[in-house]
Amino acid sequence: MQIEYDHTGFFDEMFEKDGKPRPHYEGIFQRLKTLSTAEFDQKREAVDLSLLQQGVTFTVYGDEESTERIFPFDLMPRIIPNKEWTMLEEGLTQRIVALNLFLKDIYHEQKIVKDGIIPAEVLATGKHFRKEMRDFSPPNDIYIHICGTDLIRDDNGDYLVLEDNGRCPSGVSYMIENRNVMKRAFPRFFPKSGVRSVLDYPDQLLKTLKFASPNESDNPTVAVLTPGVYNSAYFEHCFLARQMGVEIVQGQDLVVKNDFVYMKTTVGLKKVDVLYRRIDDDFLDPKAFRKDSVLGVPGLMQAYRAGNVGLANAVGTGIADDKVTYCFVPDMIKYYLDQEPILPNVKTWLPYKKEDLDYTLENADKLVIKAANEAGGYGMLIGPKATKAEVEDFKKKVKAHPRDFIAQTPISLSRHPTYCDKEFDGRHIDLRPYILYGDKVRVMPGGLTRVALRKGSLVVNSSQGGGSKDTWVLKQDK
Amino acid sequence: MLCRVADSLFWMSRYTERAENIVRLVDVTHQTLLESENSSEEVGYQHWKPLLRSLGDEALFDSLYKERSSYNVTEFLTFNSDNPSSVYSCIAAARENARMIRDQISSEMWETLNKLYLYVKRADANQVCSEINFGFFQAIKESTLLFQGIIESTFPHELGFEYIVCGRQIERADKTCRILDTKTYMARGDKQVDETLEAAQLAAILRGCSGFEAFQHDFSAEVDPLLIKRFLLLSRTFPRSTLHCVQRLQGAMHAISGCPTSHYSNESERLTGKLVAKLNYSTAADLEGTKGDKLIKEIEDDLADIASEMSKQYMGGGIYDPAAELTEV
Repeated sequence: MQIEYDHTGFFDEMFEKDGKPRPHYEGIFQRLKTLSTAEFDQKREAVDLSLLQQGVTFTVYGDEESTERIFPFDLMPRIIPNKEWTMLEEGLTQRIVALNLFLKDIYHEQKIVKDGIIPAEVLATGKHFRKEMRDFSPPNDIYIHICGTDLIRDDNGDYLVLEDNGRCPSGVSYMIENRNVMKRAFPRFFPKSGVRSVLDYPDQLLKTLKFASPNESDNPTVAVLTPGVYNSAYFEHCFLARQMGVEIVQGQDLVVKNDFVYMKTTVGLKKVDVLYRRIDDDFLDPKAFRKDSVLGVPGLMQAYRAGNVGLANAVGTGIADDKVTYCFVPDMIKYYLDQEPILPNVKTWLPYKKEDLDYTLENADKLVIKAANEAGGYGMLIGPKATKAEVEDFKKKVKAHPRDFIAQTPISLSRHPTYCDKEFDGRHIDLRPYILYGDKVRVMPGGLTRVALRKGSLVVNSSQGGGSKDTWVLKQDK
Repeated sequence: MLCRVADSLFWMSRYTERAENIVRLVDVTHQTLLESENSSEEVGYQHWKPLLRSLGDEALFDSLYKERSSYNVTEFLTFNSDNPSSVYSCIAAARENARMIRDQISSEMWETLNKLYLYVKRADANQVCSEINFGFFQAIKESTLLFQGIIESTFPHELGFEYIVCGRQIERADKTCRILDTKTYMARGDKQVDETLEAAQLAAILRGCSGFEAFQHDFSAEVDPLLIKRFLLLSRTFPRSTLHCVQRLQGAMHAISGCPTSHYSNESERLTGKLVAKLNYSTAADLEGTKGDKLIKEIEDDLADIASEMSKQYMGGGIYDPAAELTEV
């Protein structure tokens, strides 16, 4: 098969400037070269069919006909050599540690504000700051147990942090399923390729969750709390519960009595020690947060504050992945850890500051403007690609609510050979590694590489036409 | 086990069984239609009417279709998603229940059900209904039977398994009663039934339950309405007879509670025990005429009560209402 294509103009993951494959891609390059297009198509179709039959799907909202889709999977893996990974691992560890120290601080003394590193108004206006968490210490002072930090690479191939997902990062089931699929598609080649395993993620997750238990027990009862079968990530919730061998529960399955949380079973109530909750703070407990929530458990927050149940992630972590707070993470690293940040942020302007607002409005057509509290690629303006009217419209929104937006220089994300329309072509990618924080910090060697399947598109979200790749972290450098 | 999981296992099993039974009924009605000499759509509908009545679906059918034709009934019973007991709706509901508890069931179970769902969803409804594609019905029957086999050999035979058995046996017992109902409605509908056609209809009833051969084996007699009732209600060995189903149901129910079958520990066990006794001590005379019709109705009502008591006892039906908790604030 022909793999080479015009790779100029962007940083290409596989090809050097001179067109040669990078050393760590040499193996897969040679393997795919020997395949005919027909053989490749056959593997691809087998993979798609197996994903569909297994029901490895996500739900697309507002699409009546087929609400369940498979997350498109590209057979060409993304490969990261060992040395590069070591650097990422250190950078990500540094970040999750700093974010947790930040959360502990702002829900207690708020020294970082008093010392003038972060303006008080950032917290005061943050939608996800939870006053209910003030002066409460979760077990082991860990707030973000599970983090999915989005990384991208710029023109020079330098890694940048795009955002930290410190609430309920999703996608980890695809990381595992993609690996399983890949092993089946290349049963002879895979074992020789020196890839580090990610398949123990569920074990590590369970260990992390048990560590979050406030109750003294050798074997705490863990359950996954899901919004239910219609949630777009339901497959993942089920997948993780099954792999960990714990119950998956919905709000209706739980009840709080005397500040303890119980599951309703066929033989009565059973106490729960830790909930891996995949429900946003807002819906967690209708007594504490949104009254109209039917997904949550009345009294859960009270039980949490009483120290009778552990929640992962903790309540109120949203303030740490607010896109405005994001800008201060490098400062946090210096402040709490007295270290230089290993992974830089993307250059960002904060329109809530007068001079940044002026700059943003003047240069809106050259910037990427994002809503500070949206996810999934919604509420976003890509200036260089937008029409005049769209830019003007967005400028109005920013002017009206400057705190709700950030502006960034557009990064021409790195490209990766991806099979589209019967041939390989470059498509933009990002990377979401998964970090667990329990008795120690563990960064899974791999992650979810998302790829924007539409030509030229920079949006990799599954809800917006994105696909995914298996991510290979090599034991060695090539 | 979570109440909700028990509920989903029960309904997953019940809906699969229901889908299989509807397929059997549709399939068999088509086979009888082939025996009928006048094959106009209108005459065709006369064959379907008793079936629609016994399923309690006649009014819904009329509200959804302008024309009472064989084609429309087939579409209604097989594909129509507005009919909650169409084959498609049942399979979708079974799969939805399975999806809710995917972490609890074996992946083979899920994949079989998911494949079946995709098969029915992608089938060409027009082709199936107009050409009468027996292969289509056969494939569904085989899948549901495969599903049962997979449960048997991949799902641990503990608590969850018993809920599956309960769902299946309640549904099966109910559908056997309803198949017998069709005979009652047939007799009422048409005073001068021609004998050959009646024999064909009776044979169809047996075939609908896969019971033709077993019946011949037990009685080696001509198909006779009373004998068929005896066979389908009271046979101790035929797996789809009502007595056999409720006995299996009783066994599973007591396996759940751990209470011996000589006693009962809750209302659903008491009702089931009573129903078993009622059938066990019925005689051929109890099945005759309107007395027999009444008995069948009673069994159907008993089964509905048993299901509702089970739900109250084990599946959180009405135990706890989060809304009530909220108003305290």
